[in-house]
Amino acid sequence: MRNPRRNAGPDKELGHASTYHLDSRLPSPSPIPMRPHDNRAWFLVLPALTLLGLVGALPLLAVINYGFHDIFSLQDVYWVGVQWFTDILQSDRFLASLGRSLLFSALALGIQVPLGIGVALLLLSYGKRAVWGLMLVALPLVVPWNMIPMFWLGLIDAKSGLLGPSLAAIGFDWKFTGWHTWALILVVDTWHWLGLVVVLAYAGLSAIPPAYGQAAAIDGASRWAMLRYIQLPKIAAALAIVFLLRFVDSFMIYTEAFAINAGGPSDATRFLSLELGEEIKGFSYGQAAARATIYFLIVLAVVWAFVAATREREG
Amino acid sequence: MRHLGILALAGFILLPLVQAVILSFTATLPTEAQGSFGLMNYQGVLATPELRAAMVNSAFYVTLNVALCIGIGLPAAYALARTRFTGDRHFLLAILVFRVTPPVVLSLPIFILFSQFGLVNSPIGIAVVHCLFNLPVAVWVLESFIRAVPREFDETAYLDGHSGLSFFFRHLIPQIAPGIGVAAFFCFIFSWVEVVFARILTVTGGKPITMAIQAMFSFQTDIGRVMAMTCLSLLPGVAMIWFVRNHLAKGFTLRA
Repeated sequence: MRNPRRNAGPDKELGHASTYHLDSRLPSPSPIPMRPHDNRAWFLVLPALTLLGLVGALPLLAVINYGFHDIFSLQDVYWVGVQWFTDILQSDRFLASLGRSLLFSALALGIQVPLGIGVALLLLSYGKRAVWGLMLVALPLVVPWNMIPMFWLGLIDAKSGLLGPSLAAIGFDWKFTGWHTWALILVVDTWHWLGLVVVLAYAGLSAIPPAYGQAAAIDGASRWAMLRYIQLPKIAAALAIVFLLRFVDSFMIYTEAFAINAGGPSDATRFLSLELGEEIKGFSYGQAAARATIYFLIVLAVVWAFVAATREREG
Repeated sequence: MRHLGILALAGFILLPLVQAVILSFTATLPTEAQGSFGLMNYQGVLATPELRAAMVNSAFYVTLNVALCIGIGLPAAYALARTRFTGDRHFLLAILVFRVTPPVVLSLPIFILFSQFGLVNSPIGIAVVHCLFNLPVAVWVLESFIRAVPREFDETAYLDGHSGLSFFFRHLIPQIAPGIGVAAFFCFIFSWVEVVFARILTVTGGKPITMAIQAMFSFQTDIGRVMAMTCLSLLPGVAMIWFVRNHLAKGFTLRA
């Protein structure tokens, strides 16, 4: 049985779909066919699991282990217990950076997810020509990460940039005014990642059979009701992935933040990752490993909460 | 109104790129020629052996990474799309966790581990370590495309006497070719431009494009030449976007 939630043609669906009402979440016209239970599938999954164990699990265990040691060199390692962890968790600087990183993630997600969905809906209204829009927003994704801040610094250079002179004229000063640096990093991050949100949202939206929209139109649903009760629930799974990817990358933003102002002015953009970078550069490997473990646990907690919430909603 | 939105978007996306392209055609070092336009930066890039080597290194590791991710991800995606098995949800959760583990967290042990295998300063090391975040992506994308193929398709192939490898290569892969393209596209964009692992794994040699660009920054940086190198590095990405453009627009849904 073809899974109708995916890509059944409108001709098959119209008869069912037009009988649905918008006040309940639209159910699939027929349940997903049950997949058989077969543990031989593990043989197919095993190579993937082995590779991820090698490049993921093993290094992760090593990091956690290093976190309990003072490491002068690989031969010169001393057990220090939870000392690094208590040091880090009790320092005011850590808490301040954690707050800044959480705020940055909240702002980045708050801007990029709605904007990305908006752009995807806008492109959807262009039909076949939407392809050009998708290619446009995907462009920043293929720019080397370390060059993205350079592009923008070139653009806003007060002397030679295309935007620089006019920005300088209105008093934009990203070097010495804290919130201007914040705004610049947010703009750069949005420029970099908007394409990912748009592409995944668009892919999800265009997989919704047109019959749903036709049924809603017959019922006289508003544009907003369409979005709220049909489109958003349908792309919820794709958005969950986007949401988590954007959370982690913005929470651990380093390349852009470091290149733009190295945490300044006066620590206004000192994010968690910048502190970790300092410790690695200062060869405090034990402390850096403890810090990395803490960051990993924070990320893990968020992922866990998110997955639990999503699965509960799905039932 | 609609068109205004698109125009604003195009301006926002293109401005920094336009700036970079302009710089790449400008002489930027403070010499007599400063400010003049021409191809000298591109000629300079192509005449530098390290930069040419970096392009080869990048192309090599990214190809290997995409091949690894598709080759290993496809069976796993098939298993997830077609069967339930003990621990399948835990597997999905595990790949999600590995996908979102910040690279900087793992950089130090990865360096130590890979130096024991002799994979430091080699593009192979980068290709392998990038599987950490690309293999999950490949599994998600491929799983979504396999799910869209009705199960009767598999059953018909089995009845025709195709099973195992013959089924994968002669039936499934041609059927989900667009999905493989999309998976390759996502693996490419996360791998080609990555800097954290690329930096830690290439100390003295085997540098990919990102690190070769990094090395061009010095006391007196020829920013025009840096931009020329960057613009050249965009070309494979733009080609990749062009190849998958219609499949990105056709619609697929990821599930984690």
